[in-house]
Amino acid sequence: MKKLKCLAVLTLVYLVLSGADRASGKVYIDIYSPSFHKFPIAVTDFKPLRPDRTNGDLPAWFSDTLARSLALTGYFHLLDKRAFLEDQAQAGITAEGTRFADWVTIGAEYLVKGGFQEDGRELIAEFRLFDVVKGELVVGKRYSGRPEDKNRMVMQFAGEIIQVLTGEAGLFDTRIAFIKKSGASSEIYTIDFDGSDLRKVTDYGTLTLSPRWSPDGRHLAFTSYKDGNPDVYLRDMESGATQKIVYYPGLNLPGSWSRDGKRLLLTLSRDGNQEIYDMTLGNSLLQRLTRDFSIDVSPVRSPDERRIAFVSNRSGSPQIYIMDADGGNVRRLTYEGNYNTSPAWSPGGKKIAYEGSVNGRYQIFIIDAEGGSPQQLSFNVWNNESPAWSPDGRYLVYSAHGNGRSRIEIINANGQNVRVLHEGSDSSKGPFWSPHLR
Amino acid sequence: MKKNLLSIGLIVLALCISVTYLTGCAKKAAVKEQVTVTQEREPAVVAPPVVPPAVKPVDDAAARERALREQALRDQAAREAAAKEAKEAAERAKKEAAARAAALLKELTIPDIHFDFDKYNLKPEAQAILKAGAPAYLKHKEYKLVVEGHCDERGTAEYNLALGQRRADEAAKYLVDLGIQKDRINTISYGEEMPLDKGQNEEAWAKNRRAHFVTFPPVK
Repeated sequence: MKKLKCLAVLTLVYLVLSGADRASGKVYIDIYSPSFHKFPIAVTDFKPLRPDRTNGDLPAWFSDTLARSLALTGYFHLLDKRAFLEDQAQAGITAEGTRFADWVTIGAEYLVKGGFQEDGRELIAEFRLFDVVKGELVVGKRYSGRPEDKNRMVMQFAGEIIQVLTGEAGLFDTRIAFIKKSGASSEIYTIDFDGSDLRKVTDYGTLTLSPRWSPDGRHLAFTSYKDGNPDVYLRDMESGATQKIVYYPGLNLPGSWSRDGKRLLLTLSRDGNQEIYDMTLGNSLLQRLTRDFSIDVSPVRSPDERRIAFVSNRSGSPQIYIMDADGGNVRRLTYEGNYNTSPAWSPGGKKIAYEGSVNGRYQIFIIDAEGGSPQQLSFNVWNNESPAWSPDGRYLVYSAHGNGRSRIEIINANGQNVRVLHEGSDSSKGPFWSPHLR
Repeated sequence: MKKNLLSIGLIVLALCISVTYLTGCAKKAAVKEQVTVTQEREPAVVAPPVVPPAVKPVDDAAARERALREQALRDQAAREAAAKEAKEAAERAKKEAAARAAALLKELTIPDIHFDFDKYNLKPEAQAILKAGAPAYLKHKEYKLVVEGHCDERGTAEYNLALGQRRADEAAKYLVDLGIQKDRINTISYGEEMPLDKGQNEEAWAKNRRAHFVTFPPVK
């Protein structure tokens, strides 16, 4: 995160002209549309800003990395470099130096060009997004930093492109926490939205589960058996300092945080069976929300914090229920199938994703928070479990298990464009998406 | 300690003397050996002063030496026999104690009980196992018990943690109803995380949907 701050300070906006209009006005990509049109986009190799310098692999590195990041969003069709008509040796990286007709001919709607300059410890990179049809610059940025910041520069500009074309922040400054299990122990890892930079967070050599980011991304709440019992811990993701915060006899599991980061929903078995509680973190004061003899587990707040979705088997099988924030007015949400668990409330507040059993397999579903017919999102023969939303509500991350393999996958909220974020022979599960970490 | 050193001294002496004896009776040889004896005696600091054989008539000295040596050997044999007997007795006692402990542990062992998918009610066969297992805990009140709740791999990790806790709790409640004090029983859920059988079929799943009982001996 330090790197990003350093970059942000040195960022220069070249032109805001048409880009500002787009950002505040028209949204070009509607992700809730059942089938949207993928944008044909071309990314040319970057040019040394000083032509006398030769910089080895960097020209292609910039274009390939940016192209890959854009492809990950599922919103772009990347045009093959071999189809480019424009003479790259002659063309410039500004609107004046670009023959837009050559790009219209090959079907591009957008074009990204850029240049860079590396002087020992400093790297400067320029990025420009053009609207090919209009023949004009949409957004241009110049970043400077250390050579090792180059990946961040690309991610940040990819975020700019998403911002300017969709009106919302991208996800290139988010990470996904998940569990990797090997034998009888499991640890928390985090990974970038593009599948790079896998990092091990815990190293307890015991069972550790259920990571839940705080709303500011600073802390991670989770359950670990490191002292023998499943207790709730809180980790400061910057300093690494970890403290045990909930350790009643029996089961202690974290649910979702409040928006102000001051309260945490919990599942505890301290009162004889599994009930849901809201805990104030400062004084550990507990408010009990459910009073039912059955299992109540996996509480998640609505974004407006007026309701809580949770799993209960009070009807005889696990189903999703919704109650008011004070525990009143409990109503059942899911009726189809005999196993519906892992609710995740969409950031927009309208949808709830969950996993349900279909023909002996677990699949990801979305249902309207007000009730109605569920929409099945995943259809493969693996078990797809534990969905979590991206902060912009465009994607879901979930775990997939089958054939002795295990993956963390991302799917567009409309059910398209499944991609593998992480795959391994050990079991990967329980993914949870961070908020923006910038 | 002192006695031990004394015996060592005696043995060393006996050995040295026997060397002298076997080497021959010539005075010259005895004198020669004398040097060796003196040297060898040095480490045995508490060995009693012995009249050097060289200044006595050889046959007289040899007789005494023989007597001493035989006495030392007899003493040693007696000590060894006593030690052996003590060791065997200790081993027997140890074996008996281990057997008693094993028998007790066996008496206190409650086999795993099994559950149906997504269920935590105790089936009749599970109740029979608990009824058979409880009396040992009523008799040996110093022993404690941890009930682990487990699930098969199907379904959600979190829901399975709750389900495993419920299975452990139901078994614990039943044991309390059978008269075991509540504070002697702890419960813990491992959800789907610790399968006995890694297989992905009903046979393996049925084995994994279980409550497991761990006996804890009194803390000494």
